Amino acid sequence: MASALRPNMLRQAFASPSARLISSTLPAFQPQQRFLLQRTPLALQQATFQTSAKRELLPPLPQRLQGTVNDAQILGEPNALHGNYHWTFERGLSAALLPISLAPFAAGSLSPVLDGAFIGMIIIHTYIGFSSIISDYLPSRRVPFWRKLFDYGNMLAVFVVGWGWYEFETNDVGLTEGLKRVWKAGSSTVPAS
Amino acid sequence: MYIAANDATQSMAENDAGTGILAKQRLARPVSPHLSIYRPQITWYGSIINRITGSLMSGAFYLFGAAYLVAPVMGWHLESAVLAASFATWPVILQFLTKTVFAWQFTYHTFNGVRHLVWDTASAISNKAVNQSGWFVVGLSTVSAVALALL
Amino acid sequence: MALRLAARRMALAPAPFTRTFNRAMATTVEHTKEPLSAISEATSASQPPIPPSKTTTIQEPEQEANAKTKTFHIYRWNPDQPSDKPKMQSYTLDLNKTGPMMLDALIRIKNEVDPTLTFRRSCREGICGSCAMNIDGVNTLACLCRIPTDTAKESRIYPLPHTYVVKDLVPDLTQFYKQYKSIKPYLQRDTPPPDGREYRQSRDDRRKLDGLYECILCACCSTSCPSYWWNAEEYLGPAVLLQSYRWIADSRDEKTADRKEALNNSMTLYRCHTILNCSRTCPKGLNPALAIAEIKKSLAFA
Repeated sequence: MASALRPNMLRQAFASPSARLISSTLPAFQPQQRFLLQRTPLALQQATFQTSAKRELLPPLPQRLQGTVNDAQILGEPNALHGNYHWTFERGLSAALLPISLAPFAAGSLSPVLDGAFIGMIIIHTYIGFSSIISDYLPSRRVPFWRKLFDYGNMLAVFVVGWGWYEFETNDVGLTEGLKRVWKAGSSTVPAS
Repeated sequence: MYIAANDATQSMAENDAGTGILAKQRLARPVSPHLSIYRPQITWYGSIINRITGSLMSGAFYLFGAAYLVAPVMGWHLESAVLAASFATWPVILQFLTKTVFAWQFTYHTFNGVRHLVWDTASAISNKAVNQSGWFVVGLSTVSAVALALL
Repeated sequence: MALRLAARRMALAPAPFTRTFNRAMATTVEHTKEPLSAISEATSASQPPIPPSKTTTIQEPEQEANAKTKTFHIYRWNPDQPSDKPKMQSYTLDLNKTGPMMLDALIRIKNEVDPTLTFRRSCREGICGSCAMNIDGVNTLACLCRIPTDTAKESRIYPLPHTYVVKDLVPDLTQFYKQYKSIKPYLQRDTPPPDGREYRQSRDDRRKLDGLYECILCACCSTSCPSYWWNAEEYLGPAVLLQSYRWIADSRDEKTADRKEALNNSMTLYRCHTILNCSRTCPKGLNPALAIAEIKKSLAFA
């Protein structure tokens, strides 16, 4: 049925003198497409070298839609762990980081327990921050492989870095005291300014 | 067949043909320019700087943690005493600049973080307040960073 | 709904094009990979347009002695030449003969200089939202944006940022309307009104909708949001979230909990990083960022 009716539409299309209409009807599109493909080697190279390759790290994909234009967008599944619990936890953690990162300025440096807690909080804060960056810039629909790699890398880094700082805490003077030591070492002569 | 076709079936058939054309047109559409043409404003520049400063500090923190872990294997000396001693040998101006840069990342991220926490209580979100607090944080973090660098 | 909105915004396209397009708008989209997509992979990257220095300038038709000539650089892309790069076309206009608003300049260009220039417009008074575009780096309605009278400064006009361009200054807002539909923008109630006549609301409850109901869905705020640029497929964006809050805040609606629950995942709502470009750019002076903050706050300990 559909194919029976199509020629009718085509005749209408070809009867129209408008070049714009011709190029946007189906069969007329195909010659144009062939024309493009013949010319593409150069056009493609130029497009690639001049724009996307140089300027764009993650060029957006060509436009595609889910369903018809009249369907509502399908939203992600509700998930409180990645939704409001996550958000509230992150705010709480950030707020808690404030006093603990400002305390050393008053007290000189932190006790080993507080110092360890500080490091743990920095790592979790960083993990959340990095995963936010990853989900912003590396969407799975665009770069599924890299997304997975970075997600696992982010998770792995928590343990590697946590272990590294554990070593530092147990073998050295601790984060706040270490920072202070290096900072003071740079102020043996205060610049005139 | 033609006679039997009522208006509804006809428009369905036309729709089928139109779909392919539109889908093809969609695939060829360019995306309009964004980052490169949007006017620099304290809102989004402040936000991306917050992200960059956080990432740089976290990156340094992560690098040091991981490096300290493998240091014995690689033969590096990352003990705080060694680092302090080597930093002390730097030219004074370089010490000052390094400390300012690090301190500024910390102060900006911290003060801007406070700003974010205030916004999360749904307060101080008006164009005027956002503009003022944005520049206030830039000023405050710069002053305090220089003060910290002079410590 | 979405179709009606979309059709309304097809304003200035020439008649044959409108007909083809409208018909096509109401259809299912094929997801097969077409041969053309090989080309589109290269062209649909958000490439910088060819700069005005490498394109021609179309002059004001009649030069006069004391003309206040201002240059406009306008983003052009023609779907009939899909392999051509987008370019910045320059036009000069005598401001003495042009109305005060950017939309007047665009209409004058279309009427007197270059009839191929394509843009949407309808009400010319900031209530329809059709002429939303990026003018001198900021998203706004062309009809509410004065032409800066400083003729030494050149104006640049782009379509809304990070949208798929249908033609010239016309972006495809299909995704935006689909997202609007997804938040169920209508009153949801199970219980009939107590007096059997209408759903009543106290003055205070009504006042909660001020600053929300005025939104005209021009998409200026959503397309100013970097987070929406990167994740428009999953993140709803400021305009739709403001609309969502308009129904969450409505005392007559009985599905408040469902509405909030539907937003509760990492992408739909929480891609908002309080960047605040949305409130900064809103041509109607609304505050989408505040609406989103209110949603987040009400969800915080839910």
